[in-house]
Amino acid sequence: MLNITEMLDQIKASPFEEIVVRAPHTGVVEFVQNKTGAKVAGPSGTWKEKPGTLLARLTREGNVKPIHSFQKGVVERIEHALAGKFVQAGTPLMHIRHFLSKDEVLDKLLRKTLFLFLAPERAKYFFVPDVDIKVKSKGCQTVEVRSGQELFIVSRMKRESQLNYTGPEGIIYAVYFETNQNVEAGAALIGVCAKEQLPAIQDVVSRVQGEWVEEE
Amino acid sequence: MLKSRTQHKLLIANRGEIAVRIIRACQGLGLDFVCIATREDAASGHCRLALETAGERALYRISSYHDPNEVFSVADESGATAIHPGYGFFAEDHRFARRASERSRPLVFIGPSWSVIRDLGDKINTKRLARRLNIPTIPGSDKPLYDEIEAEEIAEALFAFQADQGVLRPVVLVKASAGGGGMGIEEVNDPDKFRSTFRRIRNYAKRQFRDEGVLVEQRIFDFNHLEVQIVAERFGKNIVHFGTRNCSVQSLGRQKRIEVAPGFAPGDIRYAFDAAEVLESITNHSLNMAQEVRYDNMGTWEWIVTPNGNPFLLEVNTRIQVENGVSAVISRLPKKPCVDLISEQIRLGLGQPLGYDQADISFDGVGIEYRIIAENPDNKFAPWVGRIDRFSWTDKDWARVYTHVPLDRPYEIPTEYDPNLALAIVWGRDLREARERGGMFLDSLVLEGRNLAGDPLQSNISYLRAKTVDLLMF
Amino acid sequence: MDIEKNIFELRERLKYIQDIFGFKENDNVVLLGAKLQELTDALPGLDAAEQVRQLTSLEDLFAFLEKKLERQLSPMDRVRIVRHPQRISLKDILEHVYDNFTEIGGQDEYSVDPSMLIARAYITRKVGNKVHNQSVMVIGQEKGHGQEFRNGGSVKPWGNAKALHYMKVAEMENIPIHAYVNTPGAFPVEDYPGAAQQIARNIYEMAGLRVPVIAIFSEGGSGGAEAIGLADVRLMLSHGYYSVISPEGAAAIEGRIKPGQKAPTELMENCAKRLKITAKDNLSLGFIDRIIQEPVLGARTEHFDFFRSLRQEVINATDEIILNVRGMNYFRAKAIMRQKKSPRVNAENIFVRWKLGGPARERLLWKRYQRFMAMSRHAFLDRRPVGRKCMEFGLDLGWSVYSFFKYDFWRKHQKKVSNLAEDVGAEFQVVFDKCLAPARRLKAVFSRTNDEPNGNNQCQLTQLSPWEKRESDQQQGYISPQARKDRAVSCPNALVHGCMDMWAPDLFGEWAGVCIHCGHHFPMEYDWYVHNVFDPQSVREFNAQMEAINPLGYDGFDLKLEEAKRKNGLKSACRTFEARINGLKVVIAMLIAGFRGGTVGAAEGEKFIRAVERARKKRFPLLAYTHGTAGIRIQEGTCGVIQMPRCTMAVRRYLEDGGLYLVVYDTNSYAGPVASFLGCSPYQFAIRSSRIGFAGPGVIQETTGMPMPPHYHSAYQALARGHIQGVWDRREMRKNVYQALLTVGGRNLYYR
Repeated sequence: MLNITEMLDQIKASPFEEIVVRAPHTGVVEFVQNKTGAKVAGPSGTWKEKPGTLLARLTREGNVKPIHSFQKGVVERIEHALAGKFVQAGTPLMHIRHFLSKDEVLDKLLRKTLFLFLAPERAKYFFVPDVDIKVKSKGCQTVEVRSGQELFIVSRMKRESQLNYTGPEGIIYAVYFETNQNVEAGAALIGVCAKEQLPAIQDVVSRVQGEWVEEE
Repeated sequence: MLKSRTQHKLLIANRGEIAVRIIRACQGLGLDFVCIATREDAASGHCRLALETAGERALYRISSYHDPNEVFSVADESGATAIHPGYGFFAEDHRFARRASERSRPLVFIGPSWSVIRDLGDKINTKRLARRLNIPTIPGSDKPLYDEIEAEEIAEALFAFQADQGVLRPVVLVKASAGGGGMGIEEVNDPDKFRSTFRRIRNYAKRQFRDEGVLVEQRIFDFNHLEVQIVAERFGKNIVHFGTRNCSVQSLGRQKRIEVAPGFAPGDIRYAFDAAEVLESITNHSLNMAQEVRYDNMGTWEWIVTPNGNPFLLEVNTRIQVENGVSAVISRLPKKPCVDLISEQIRLGLGQPLGYDQADISFDGVGIEYRIIAENPDNKFAPWVGRIDRFSWTDKDWARVYTHVPLDRPYEIPTEYDPNLALAIVWGRDLREARERGGMFLDSLVLEGRNLAGDPLQSNISYLRAKTVDLLMF
Repeated sequence: MDIEKNIFELRERLKYIQDIFGFKENDNVVLLGAKLQELTDALPGLDAAEQVRQLTSLEDLFAFLEKKLERQLSPMDRVRIVRHPQRISLKDILEHVYDNFTEIGGQDEYSVDPSMLIARAYITRKVGNKVHNQSVMVIGQEKGHGQEFRNGGSVKPWGNAKALHYMKVAEMENIPIHAYVNTPGAFPVEDYPGAAQQIARNIYEMAGLRVPVIAIFSEGGSGGAEAIGLADVRLMLSHGYYSVISPEGAAAIEGRIKPGQKAPTELMENCAKRLKITAKDNLSLGFIDRIIQEPVLGARTEHFDFFRSLRQEVINATDEIILNVRGMNYFRAKAIMRQKKSPRVNAENIFVRWKLGGPARERLLWKRYQRFMAMSRHAFLDRRPVGRKCMEFGLDLGWSVYSFFKYDFWRKHQKKVSNLAEDVGAEFQVVFDKCLAPARRLKAVFSRTNDEPNGNNQCQLTQLSPWEKRESDQQQGYISPQARKDRAVSCPNALVHGCMDMWAPDLFGEWAGVCIHCGHHFPMEYDWYVHNVFDPQSVREFNAQMEAINPLGYDGFDLKLEEAKRKNGLKSACRTFEARINGLKVVIAMLIAGFRGGTVGAAEGEKFIRAVERARKKRFPLLAYTHGTAGIRIQEGTCGVIQMPRCTMAVRRYLEDGGLYLVVYDTNSYAGPVASFLGCSPYQFAIRSSRIGFAGPGVIQETTGMPMPPHYHSAYQALARGHIQGVWDRREMRKNVYQALLTVGGRNLYYR
């Protein structure tokens, strides 16, 4: 069945994620956080109202705009050559090594163990109304799906069409898209697990909760 | 060809077909240029052309085509001195034009001065200006109406007026004066129902646009859509016209699909009115109004002409239009092999004199422009998105194709922008020949592709072919 | 003699002294400590007589040094005294000052707000053989000797609402109110009824309370104190304080302390001194009437003598008010005057019935009004030359007379005449129509045949129509300095709504500082409103010469004030003027955020009151536009805080005379003004993206210990809580104000 130990070990071997901080738009960049190895924090506060560590400032048309870190991590590399220079949109400015938290590891493992139903094209996705109500009121894990079931409404270029679920029968364990946000083609929409597999999934959850040590 | 004291550098603030055309015009004029593109649009033809002809430094990656800050930021960095907005995006944005000319590092905006863009961009203002100059406009109110009784009086007069004109089923349009793009418009065909419609639109306008002004106009059916191409030097000197166009073949939502120059073909088709006279009248009216506002650079006066030959001024487009090529193809200038309105626009925008006058401009033959679009004409012109595998046609010296689609490799149509794939212009000595050639060209066109679901590409080619038959008729 | 018990008592006294003097090194305190220690150490080795002797001498030393220490008390020490758990509480007072009482609506923590205590009590007076039980309503903050649930006397909005309720009950029952003010300040939560709004309601209602009110101040912390402190006689305990802000709060502002940090003790001491918060200071400034002397180092539960003198004082004060407004009073008033001079005489011997008849109630209100209007007159500068003053006084008088004749006298009669004329006219019309009906029918038949179907109308359809752009569409040529910079500006909501950066000249010019994407309102200068809300050239400023000063001689404030005056080109944070909106004349009072944060001091209060008076006399509507206010100007101390009742009273008088009082909030409006003369308006609106509240987020976190959700004070939240009546778009302010002038409030306006 699921070899959780192996998967966990795999993640433990490289327990981090590389985050590339890119210039959101054109402008002259100035680094605030300019030491590699420095620790940076993501947004904090009860409502995530406090922005993360200030990494850099980007000045465009006399408007100085801050670039905050959106994840906790350690600065790995800074493109010092760009300091004080004009950058184009999307230019990598900094690389941050982010150690995976419990939730993220869990998410990673689940994505490997669950059946993922992928978005066929770049569009906005919605559940069909009756499923939507169920998801919103009772949570997604109460929804059972089987192949051929009408599950999604695809909205692209102001036109809506229906999308049927294809894949193994089971319950929706996780929902990976947000209403009113564009989903790239090939991104996961939902994760499905067979009913009898549920105990195994619960096992994954408890194993991660127990074994994963978050690094500071 | 372009001689000026300062060497200009032009920033092309647009993408796709028009960007390609502007690059070509720059090359013809010997002008430096800079292009911009977003990440999703990296495969677009204008990026490739820019990189091939001018190298890395001629292309800047930006976050959005809609963000003026990106454009100005790139302009400063690249040392550009002028901006060409193309059409769409910033072309009729008077704030953008004003910012270009009033910022601390000013840039030449290739287009009319910002105040002209602002004044003619306001439909009510345009209508009133036209009426002041005795230019015919669509019967109805020329100011936002706030008073229900006043509006009803006008509506009643409109019904009576239409009955007088022999209109069989008179219809009055009620629309929010602050609206646009088909929002907040309703038709009324019964005078008794006017008040309720008026109130509905007024309340809608109040909610939606926070201005309760309402316009009341005659609804005109079966009209032809004509345009007059106006060209002028900086500061509104030497205003000339480059003939007329007929853009009556339109999809739902008033999107043009075929344009023909000149606007009517009196030799080929019998009209119920004197077509030559109507063309002359709308051309003169347009010139007259351009003079009045001291119009500079390039613009289009849009008219509608009823089946019995009544022209009404609709609006003014203060930009170069997609269909500029079809006017160019029938225009002749002394000592120039072919006319290119885009390079004329750039030249004039940078402050060069016109160099000729109206008498030097002559017209020859008939041009037809097709807009080739991946869409389904049978299903409300629904856009088709996917990958284009093959796109080719037979080259002819009477046909020109402008496209940003690469012909040597597959091309993914970006979903963010309009699905316009190519513009094809054919020329004939008269309408009959132009139509024949148009048909021949469309027959030779190959356009194939598939989307993710594996469905074949849908295009409007068959629609264009069908429409070619009865061009320029009512 | 129980030596052990006495030693214990001395130890308690020492501890109390140490608490009061806090961290300060004081030789006397050290001496007392050493002596006490010495005695306890030596005690076992002494015989009984010697023990008593030494103890007595130590007790004498204690008494002596306590007296000495009393003279050394700094204002901050007094703050510590009133907050000490041993300080007398309202419960103690109820037990010892009154003869019987029933607590209303609460038993310890089972109360809507345990920090507000209400009781019906009576005082028994024996005159001759007759026994009178004189009822009073006792209202006050209860600290409960440090009981946690009492919240230190910091009253929540619903507590103040309860207080107001029982004030109204007292009014109905026609009994006096005794209000014991003992609060460090109101609890700054925004939940309905809202800290600020409830205080405003309390002040507004108290201004018109038709029974005598006596306030006794022990701890008078700004807004919380005002909520029950508007009284006909204000007494103050000698060790109490009455201040615009707690010394800690003042120090936090002065020292620019961030939330979570503590202000240095020294700065706090300094602030307490500068704010002039003691009973003596307040007496000399005229904000209280008398001081009730407490025992040395403040009254505690065991000081029974003190309760007796307190009883005398409150009875005296109540008698005094009653006699002042009642007709039959000569001898008794004289007697009471005598008593005041020699407090040893028993006040209970003279009987005064504590009920008031109709005319006396009116006199009571008028006296109260005049009393507060006369306060803080010294605390601003009126630079108008004498001639001008005389002229303006004359004009004012002229307006009063004119208004009386035009609106009160003439209008009453004119209405009758015009009503009659209307009726006659309508009757005549009916008859006339009847007579002409056949002729008209005939005419209609003819006209149908030779009617021109579209003669004139057709021109209307195809030719230029006359049209004057609506006045409101015209921009009136004000260019914000923010619009002169070539730069882009980011919307604070960009992350949420994806707003693009805007070019400053567009944003602050054409768009009036409103993000075109999400509608966020950037702050605009008040000039924008002056130019875009009112008819062009209709603005006539008045009282511009009234100048804010530094009435308490607050250290270093003169310079800051000069700076503010220079920077803004104004003499105070309040601008008052007359203007027109679509021809309707309006009096406007503006609080300007750029001038010391739009804080209200004596000059601003006086200007506001005069604007209200002007509107009242001329029958104009009144618009209070708050461009921004941070509260009461703390450097003016109680001179500032007294503007809360003063301005509110003026507003009440105006509203009762049938005025229309409109309040519009912009940017940030906090604290005192919102909790009084702004918050009491029945018609309050906010410009979008403005914030309205009682205390800023930092203060809330400090006092409640809870983090503030973002947008806690936003206008929409205030609307949802019911604090304001609408949220307006800045660009539509003119339209909305005009609309409001036509539709809301005011039965007695010149255009109605």
